[in-house]
Amino acid sequence: MSVLRRNNVKVIGSGAKAMVFSHGFGCDQNMWRFVWPAFADRFRIVLFDHVGAGGSDLAAYDPEKYSSLDGYAEDIVEICRELEIAHGVFVGHSVSSMIGALASLKAPGIFDELVMIGPSPRYINDGDYTGGFSEQQIHELLDFLDANHMGWSRTMAPVIMGNPDRPELNEELTNSFCMTDPDIARKFARATFLSDNRADLPLVKARCLVLQCSEDVIAPQTVGEYVARMLSNSSFVLLSATGHCPNLSAPQETVAAMQDFLQDQAEKPMLGDHG
Amino acid sequence: MADTLEDLEDLFDNAPCGYLAAGSDGRIVKVNQTFSTWLGRDKSELVGHRFQDFLNIAGKIYYETHFAPLMRMQGFFNEVALDLVRSDGSTLPVLVNAVERRDESGELRFIRITVFNASDRRHYERELLDARRAAEKANADLMELNRTLEQRIAQAVDARLRSEWALYQSQKMETVGQLTGGIAHDFNNMLAIILPSLNLLEKRLAKGEDVGRYIAAAREGAIRAADLTKRLLTFSRRQTLAPETINANQLVADMSELLRRTLGETVHFETVLAEGLWYIHADRSLLESAILNLSINARDAMPDGGDLTIETANTHLDRADVAGQGVMPGEYVMIAVRDTGTGMTPEVMAKAFEPFFTTKGVGKGTGLGLSQVFGYVKQSAGTIKVLSAVGRGTTMELYLPRAIQASGLPRSVAPARLAASGAGELILLVEDDQGVLSSTGRALRELGYEVIEAQSGREALTALRTQSKVCLLFTDVVMPEMSGLRLAEQALQIRPDLKVLFTTGYASGDEDSPLLDAATNLLQKPASLEELEAKIRDMMDKKS
Repeated sequence: MSVLRRNNVKVIGSGAKAMVFSHGFGCDQNMWRFVWPAFADRFRIVLFDHVGAGGSDLAAYDPEKYSSLDGYAEDIVEICRELEIAHGVFVGHSVSSMIGALASLKAPGIFDELVMIGPSPRYINDGDYTGGFSEQQIHELLDFLDANHMGWSRTMAPVIMGNPDRPELNEELTNSFCMTDPDIARKFARATFLSDNRADLPLVKARCLVLQCSEDVIAPQTVGEYVARMLSNSSFVLLSATGHCPNLSAPQETVAAMQDFLQDQAEKPMLGDHG
Repeated sequence: MADTLEDLEDLFDNAPCGYLAAGSDGRIVKVNQTFSTWLGRDKSELVGHRFQDFLNIAGKIYYETHFAPLMRMQGFFNEVALDLVRSDGSTLPVLVNAVERRDESGELRFIRITVFNASDRRHYERELLDARRAAEKANADLMELNRTLEQRIAQAVDARLRSEWALYQSQKMETVGQLTGGIAHDFNNMLAIILPSLNLLEKRLAKGEDVGRYIAAAREGAIRAADLTKRLLTFSRRQTLAPETINANQLVADMSELLRRTLGETVHFETVLAEGLWYIHADRSLLESAILNLSINARDAMPDGGDLTIETANTHLDRADVAGQGVMPGEYVMIAVRDTGTGMTPEVMAKAFEPFFTTKGVGKGTGLGLSQVFGYVKQSAGTIKVLSAVGRGTTMELYLPRAIQASGLPRSVAPARLAASGAGELILLVEDDQGVLSSTGRALRELGYEVIEAQSGREALTALRTQSKVCLLFTDVVMPEMSGLRLAEQALQIRPDLKVLFTTGYASGDEDSPLLDAATNLLQKPASLEELEAKIRDMMDKKS
């Protein structure tokens, strides 16, 4: 099984610099549909699905490997090696922000920039740290997933190739875009909401953009600010978009913030280039 | 018109499902009474908030991560299972549909959210889930059972084998107990002959009277004891059989005196011996044992006395006679032991030949007798027939095949000549048992030989190196450290012309050696003084 098939990797465009889009918990590469076209003229766009989501190879799901975010980060490193990506841009949504950060630590040099949309290094409150959820709430979530498996798995049930271009084919499908294997999604939720990657943030060398939504129950503003503060080289942008998915609800605002961040970089040559 | 509007408002408010309308920012602008009632919140508490604000924590997260993106991508979502939280903190399971309503220009006007009460449905789902889990568990158990079946069978078989082994062991111990009791009984009987004889011998000797018959009685007791050990060795397959050509009439006649005394005064004993009886080929002492055994059984079956007859006859067994017997049709000599005793029930008859089966009390018999007789007769290519009925006595018929070549050799009985036959030749005697060593040494000296006693092979070799006059090595076969055979090998290296005589109580595999020939240089233990003398003389007279 090739890495590219395993993660249902799609490569679009032939820009010199690669831009790797990594979806978060609950969706697949479809969630980037309003964002990536804005960069396709200058970047080599790389889209993929995490194992267990979208068109990935479900048989490749190894419960042990994917019990922590490290396993997902390894996959990103493998994809980049396969596509010979260096000095690329990583765009991660939600939990994928941390997965990208881990990948950049595992393989320094693959990403020069990390764009983190709604990042959170830890969802559970811990002393002075406010993650947004009490431990009890997260366990309530995980219990809900375990107990009401059928109720929501039915919601996720149409794990059928989505066909966004011809919606009439999917008429009978209730929810065809977020293709997720319910059992794996349950485990992904566990890996996501029990993670704690706060200690990794100061180690990240890449230049980072933290995109923070207003009224985000998953990643509250204080968390986004914490992430930006702990990273050694970061910009923080508070979007007017509400919710957790500005890439879908406010793609223009998201694209603009990313372009500013990348433009910024283009205008300021790296010190190391001449040093 | 106003009626219609009122009607529609009523329909909206009191429909059996929750209706909400949200703006493009997701905030609720309108909500019906049904939904408001379900949540236990006033409509005014709901307007201005977002739908997900009223979900439980899992619902909030899932709404944000799954269903909000779906709405954005496909403009609707259907039948999403979520839990609403009521004002009192309890939860309401619901199914939620949502769809964007757009005007003709494609501008989003509002989002219509429809909510169904799913309490019952969730209940059924839970039952279904429980049933499915139970089925999955049963299936897993079954697979586990299948997977471990082989192992479990192996364990069960192992346990069974172990319990059988334990049973076998306990039966064996019981058997050993019975056997020991039986042997003790038999030995006591023999000692009962020997000890009084010796006592009387002592007294009569003191008075200077004739003591010949006491000596004879003591000797007979000792011979019977030796016979018993021989039978025990046969049973443990440690003695090889020595078949010879025998006249059964002669054998029975020779035994008559012994039998008469064994049977006691209440049993009338007679023999009916056929004229011109054919010879048979059999182990003499074992045949004697068999007849003695059958006779004792007969005696014991006649506690109040009766008649015991030993009869011989030439017979021809045809196919019908030998059916199921495992022997060939042909000419046989029959030796029958007939009593007028209690007889046997069919049940006892069926078990009569099983090893250790006995109707006698503990300590009264080994239970080996009949099984030994049976084994011996079978081994001699013969068979046994039993005729018995309760109250009508028992007849045991032994059939032994006719020997074609009748040598007719009369059994030579060695005269009791105790004159010294030795001529002072030096014998190197080797025996690890000190008692046997000194008594054998005494006997040899009595016979006129000079003797060097050695208690091990090592001692013997040392003696052999210093004593050049040794002309016979007389050694036990089974000894610790160095066996008699090994000793003989080394001794012959020192003295190639040395004569070697072995003695043993066993016939184990150790004796399978070119040095050892049972017919010429082996003296079976226990041996009488006459046998010892004859064997030693044979050896001495042989040319090396």
